[in-house]
Amino acid sequence: MKCLSQMDSLPDAILQYILSYLTSARDVAACNCVSKRWKESTDSVKSVVFHRNSFESIMETDDSDSIVRKMISSSRRLEELVVYSPFTSSGLASWMMHVSSSLRLLELRMDNLASEEVVVEGPLKLDCIGVAKNLEILKLWGVLMMSPPKWDMFPNLRSLEIVGAKMDDSSLSHALRACPNLSNLLLLACEGVKSISIDLPYLEHCKLDFYGQGNTLLVLTSQRLVSLDVQGCSWIRVPETKFLKNLSISSVTGRVYMVDFNNLSSLEALSIRGVQWCWDAICMILQQARDVKHLFMKVEFTGNEALQPFPEIDFVEFFNNHPKLQTFDIHGAMFAALCQKNSLKKLETGFTIPCLEEVVITVRSPLNAEQKMNTLESLVKYARGLKRMVIRILRMKSNHSSADDFCDDICKFRHMNEHLVHIE
Amino acid sequence: MSSKMIVLMSSDGQSFEVEEAVAIQSQTIAHMVEDDCVADGIPLANVESKILVKVIEYCKKYHVDEANPISEEDLNKWDEKFMDLEQSTIFELILAANYLNIKSLFDLTCQTVADMIKGKTPEEIRSTFNIENDFTPEEEEAVRKENQWAFE
Repeated sequence: MKCLSQMDSLPDAILQYILSYLTSARDVAACNCVSKRWKESTDSVKSVVFHRNSFESIMETDDSDSIVRKMISSSRRLEELVVYSPFTSSGLASWMMHVSSSLRLLELRMDNLASEEVVVEGPLKLDCIGVAKNLEILKLWGVLMMSPPKWDMFPNLRSLEIVGAKMDDSSLSHALRACPNLSNLLLLACEGVKSISIDLPYLEHCKLDFYGQGNTLLVLTSQRLVSLDVQGCSWIRVPETKFLKNLSISSVTGRVYMVDFNNLSSLEALSIRGVQWCWDAICMILQQARDVKHLFMKVEFTGNEALQPFPEIDFVEFFNNHPKLQTFDIHGAMFAALCQKNSLKKLETGFTIPCLEEVVITVRSPLNAEQKMNTLESLVKYARGLKRMVIRILRMKSNHSSADDFCDDICKFRHMNEHLVHIE
Repeated sequence: MSSKMIVLMSSDGQSFEVEEAVAIQSQTIAHMVEDDCVADGIPLANVESKILVKVIEYCKKYHVDEANPISEEDLNKWDEKFMDLEQSTIFELILAANYLNIKSLFDLTCQTVADMIKGKTPEEIRSTFNIENDFTPEEEEAVRKENQWAFE
């Protein structure tokens, strides 16, 4: 008399529930071959991932398209689909036919950027996505969007992420208008956008990385914004920032002219980076971010046209204007601005830097070594709560003995404050 | 503050006294408590003592009180250790969690079995769980062909 194994004695519903935890398409395919009951039970799979090399042995993309289609259509209710392997637009259209109403998450490697010409055979891949009306999360890699996608509306879409894209202003604008309820927007390595106005009332997290000359213009209207990270814009206006806690603005290639934030009273963390920022822009943003706790500053030059070094920043005024500062990370040129002739002019006994706990300073040049040492000493002296100071010494530009002297000074300083200071 | 205790009786006649608040993580037991039929203890005809001990251990750990919060990371580590069991015990836990209607334990045990399936070939899956291959040779050939792409 044959005795069933525990697995074979499990009720069908439980087997189906176990199999619904499988996500890799390969695992689903393996389960299909185990037994008749298993083959019938894999229809409970709710989420399936096709990895990049799923179809390496298959010559024709049409064949892999139909393998994906068969697996999708055998699922009772597919909610999540991730495809990293290549596919055609007609393949994608056929998949969407089966899952358009149940799909909540879709992640696709579009791989459209590599092709030189735009070959239009049948529907465009982006357009096919439009029928998945109940999507909540959409993530696309390698997108070419040079015409507005035929997206009617994704009312439930809360997260849109596009990594690696070439698009134009009107296409991006059109795409975003189809997602009015977004709370998370990520555009990474995005080329071709010159000027964009984004109006998303529920947006809370936004990361924009515009690749190219660094002179994109951005207007962002999102009252609930909590965190914003922008790279590659020269002009930024965000009128409503009552809830903004984290702000990072950087510019790898271009120049930051203007940043216009209505108020930054809730801002806790601020990071400003770039090759060149106009001085007004820096002042404006530092002035508004009065209560900031964590500050990261790495800007090489200022100036409206030609590259200019920074004007002097008064040490006392700076720390009095940012009394809640807890961590402070400052690089090269900006540190030098705090170390000018008159920077420490206003130091007096009543002055304190009350909340500062951690300081990271990156030094590059031995110029004004004496002032730099004075500033370092002032930081240690007036920041009673200071727990840690890290001094990073990058390759000194000068070959003078002044560079050696400076390093000696720093080592001496470290020695006198061993419990606080580390050198990297 | 005294906590109300109830008695759970395993299928093999052993009794276990458990705090009511801990036990009612089982929806099945919670309903019985509501219906007020627990005075003489709750007989659990489908759960052996060896398994009931593990179920109670789980429920005690997951009965989180605000005074002793526990991080998700620590709970995950504990789950991993808890599930380091023989295959037959895992299956019995699945059935117990299902019968007692303890969703988080049911999810944990099913996920554990799913993790044992991942990355295996059909033959390996069959041999791990002693599953009978009930395909006819023709059926098996057809289904292998259809899913051949996964094995190359």
